[in-house]
Amino acid sequence: MRNTRIIMAAMAATALLAAACGGDDNGNGEAAGNGEATGNGEATGDDGEATGDGEATGEPIVIGGIFDLSGATADVGEPYSQGARDYVAWRNSTQDGVGGREIELEWQDYAYEVPNAEQLYTQFIANGAVGIQGWGTADTEALSGSITADEVPFMSASWAETLVDPSESPYNFVVGPTYSDQMRVALAWIAEDAGGPTEVAAFHNDSPFGTSPLADGQAYIEEEGLDINLETYAMPGGATDYVGEISRAEAQGAEYIVVQNVASPAAQLVRNLQDQGSDIQVVCLNWCAAELLIELAGDVAEGVVGVHPILGPASDAPGLDPIREYLESDGRSIDDIDTFYVQGWYTTHAMAEGLAALVDSGDEVTGANLATTLQTMGPIETGVSEPIEFTSDSHRGMSASNLLRVEDGRFLPFEEGVSP
Amino acid sequence: MTTTGVYHTNYRSELRLRHTRAEQVRLWMAVVLVLLLPFVLSPFWLSVANRIGIAIIGAIGLNILTGFTGQISLGQGGFLAVGAYTSGLLVVRLGLPTLVAILLAVAFTAMVGALFGIPALRLKGLYLAIATLASQFIIIYLVRNWEFITQGRDSISVPRPELFGFVLIGDFRWYWPIMGSAVLATILGRNLFRSGIGRALMAVRDQDIAASALGVNLTKYKVMSFAISSGFVGLAGALTGHYRIITWERFGLNVSIEYLAMIIVGGLGSILGSILGAIFIVLLPSGLEQFAISVRGVFPQVTAQLPALQLATFGIVIILFLIFEPRGLARMWQRTKDYFRLWPFRY
Amino acid sequence: MQTFIQLTVSGLANGAILALAAVGFAIIFKATGVINFAQGSFMAVGAYMVYTAIADFGWPWPVALVFAAAVAIAVGLGTERFILRPMVGESAISVIMVTIGLAFFLEAALQFQFGTRPLRMAPFIPEGTVQILGVPLPMNRLVAIGLAALVLGAVGAFFRFSRNGIAMRAVADDQQAALTMGISVRRIFAMAWGIAAVTAMLAGVLVANIQGVSGNVALFGLLVFPVVILGGLDSIGGTIVGGLIVGLLIQYTAGYLGGGLQQVIPYILLVFILMVRPYGLFGEVRIERV
Repeated sequence: MRNTRIIMAAMAATALLAAACGGDDNGNGEAAGNGEATGNGEATGDDGEATGDGEATGEPIVIGGIFDLSGATADVGEPYSQGARDYVAWRNSTQDGVGGREIELEWQDYAYEVPNAEQLYTQFIANGAVGIQGWGTADTEALSGSITADEVPFMSASWAETLVDPSESPYNFVVGPTYSDQMRVALAWIAEDAGGPTEVAAFHNDSPFGTSPLADGQAYIEEEGLDINLETYAMPGGATDYVGEISRAEAQGAEYIVVQNVASPAAQLVRNLQDQGSDIQVVCLNWCAAELLIELAGDVAEGVVGVHPILGPASDAPGLDPIREYLESDGRSIDDIDTFYVQGWYTTHAMAEGLAALVDSGDEVTGANLATTLQTMGPIETGVSEPIEFTSDSHRGMSASNLLRVEDGRFLPFEEGVSP
Repeated sequence: MTTTGVYHTNYRSELRLRHTRAEQVRLWMAVVLVLLLPFVLSPFWLSVANRIGIAIIGAIGLNILTGFTGQISLGQGGFLAVGAYTSGLLVVRLGLPTLVAILLAVAFTAMVGALFGIPALRLKGLYLAIATLASQFIIIYLVRNWEFITQGRDSISVPRPELFGFVLIGDFRWYWPIMGSAVLATILGRNLFRSGIGRALMAVRDQDIAASALGVNLTKYKVMSFAISSGFVGLAGALTGHYRIITWERFGLNVSIEYLAMIIVGGLGSILGSILGAIFIVLLPSGLEQFAISVRGVFPQVTAQLPALQLATFGIVIILFLIFEPRGLARMWQRTKDYFRLWPFRY
Repeated sequence: MQTFIQLTVSGLANGAILALAAVGFAIIFKATGVINFAQGSFMAVGAYMVYTAIADFGWPWPVALVFAAAVAIAVGLGTERFILRPMVGESAISVIMVTIGLAFFLEAALQFQFGTRPLRMAPFIPEGTVQILGVPLPMNRLVAIGLAALVLGAVGAFFRFSRNGIAMRAVADDQQAALTMGISVRRIFAMAWGIAAVTAMLAGVLVANIQGVSGNVALFGLLVFPVVILGGLDSIGGTIVGGLIVGLLIQYTAGYLGGGLQQVIPYILLVFILMVRPYGLFGEVRIERV
């Protein structure tokens, strides 16, 4: 009896050790995960291995994707991530990948929670990612130390001003004008539109993303001597309405509201303004200056002004052609997508162009080399915006935005290429 | 040997931590496993192991309060935050050495716990649950908005601590202090319930009015339970604060619920249950993720809907455990042991 | 003055909806002793069902409401039968956790089916603004107050005048005695969960009309807890008062103080009340026996 027990225990221990030693594999070769799910969770789309010319065949290059598909900013995160994933599928299947090598995009939803982003980052690095497509301000800032230590370029959807200085964060790259730049453009337009002293309320997401442009906006007012009094109001997450905040803004006498938030809370805000019979002019920065705002707010969105550097499907920018082609080959149409999709598409494009240049140069494909290539390769064309360019002094890809206004249910540009 | 029970013939043998041969062997196997793990695990799984270690400490703390003393607490996340922010701020603002800061954080969290325990004296059941829920929201609000703590920043980054001359960077180096603390917490927890204090706490859980009639001072022991539990939780929080960047998102209501799930799935009123529950609940989302990756080719929907699936699995796991095995994994382990011990008999 | 009136109307609207959701919670607690953490999820399920009936099936809104009520009753009864009946006799913490597990599962199912994007409910409550005393007020808030009041009145009448309502009050008071009087406790439990699910559905629909159909509807349901503490669990009137107080308090804080304080002020109030009156403002003292 006793010997049986000892034998069984020994067998169990051996099995345990064997499993532990053999179980290191994190499962490589996972992601042909491109273009699977549309917004409704239906698996469609090809896997980036379709027929057609220009198919990539070389050894795949891994990049990581941290997207928000179910968290506080999922309303805009979902189309953005769809654009990124579709871009990789299109690039691999029709553009010969990057210099003949396929891009392998490993991506996951992190629900806008910093701890999840950290875990995903560790996983991607362990799987050999040489670049990361990131998302939110809070997690990008939380990871900036790690990416510098690991030497991995990080292109975030967050365009916070703190990320563009290579001397502080040499591996963060921001493809667009920063939130602070957009705020400056908005304030300059307001000053012009008001034609005199005016009160401005800045409504922002209750997070680092929301507060990012506020201090710089205040500084800009003082630098330029604008006759604007700026007060800030946080829009708490999960609030049912913003009646309280609007009341305080009205008590301030605000004539303009600048919104640094994503589309859903902004739409709620616009509707609340209508409900209270307010005629305050709303100016949206890029994350609410797109089709989703109009979809959620309806007719109430007429007249809202937006700041966005990228032209969306409503325009006929040349950069939309590859998107149109890809969607049609996939059985979808350009009417199904929005500006955030285009934003995701071209942000990934910037990293892919960097990878292509790196592969063509013959140097080893590492994160550090990719960062250097991005800084030295010159402007990256998009066809929907001004070219993206990084230098060793600045990782700010663009500086100009377009001013748009909602007319007849669409955001149409009324001034293009405005720099702060 | 143990089929007819374990009999002791002197106090020394009764006071041993492990009574039977089999228990001692399993203990040594566990020790060997814990020592070997960091050398065989990949970096990703090592970081998961570290998270499990911290979760074990927190789960033991919560089990002391909820499982052994019967006080429902939904405010776990808040106390983790207190531990993390205290320890982090002591290092960043006052420059105290890490070990001192952690100990002070533990003491401070225990004090805060005792403070919250005082109003809890009069509350039971639903009211206690709601009061602790309120404490969770209030603490998080303070941590996000109180200027004294935030100083305008959104996260606190604590410089890497040093231990015996090694700078603690990387999961491999963090594994040792975390596991060491977890082992310490386990031993402390286990011993607590072999002592008079522990028995008093269990009496409070079972029948507090009768216990007070027998001379158990309810006030003293309820407050002590809150204090001790919060001390453990403060340790878990302090370790989190040094291991990763301190942001309020780590300490929200969902974390409180996760910890409750750990002790429920693991087994209320059992230290082993806390450990098993912590392992299970932390592994669940990561395990699902790996599963999703491996079936990506066949079922791409799994990856696309992973967060929904993780949430759904979490919910279903809790429901199923509570319906079919309300005493948790510890009980399942006990039944497995009994099965082998009594085989071929059934009881 | 205008601000004050606007805040008051908005606060009353939110408060009335909260009272509606809280009534369901209170019914379950009083009749069965279960703390239903899934009340918010019931609200979300109700909202999504109405949305999908109108938007995907194309039904007119009365039919959609009936459909959603049917789904709500099914979910409520199913929960009572399959999840809570096996839990009879378990400790309070286990019951709380089981409803939390249910809440997660329901939210995950909704997320799986509908995604996380906020959706717009087809407004069947008239939109637009009305001018009352020179103050522009949103029509949908006023209608929400009216509808909630109507339903609460109906529930109150049910408890006072109908046989089943009185039977439920009997079970809530003393289960043993009710059993001896021939009341089927099992049926009462099922009825309690059914009614609670339907009131939650209605509350969810009203919330969704104001702020869109999304996971936030469930978050709104968390405020049920301060409401039941303030109002006590023993009377519909108390719950209504509690709901209105919480709704108004949040709006006034948002309007005059701001800074995110409005999220936490109900809980601070809660803690104060619990210190002074552990059973809530209108609650009855419980006597415990060993």
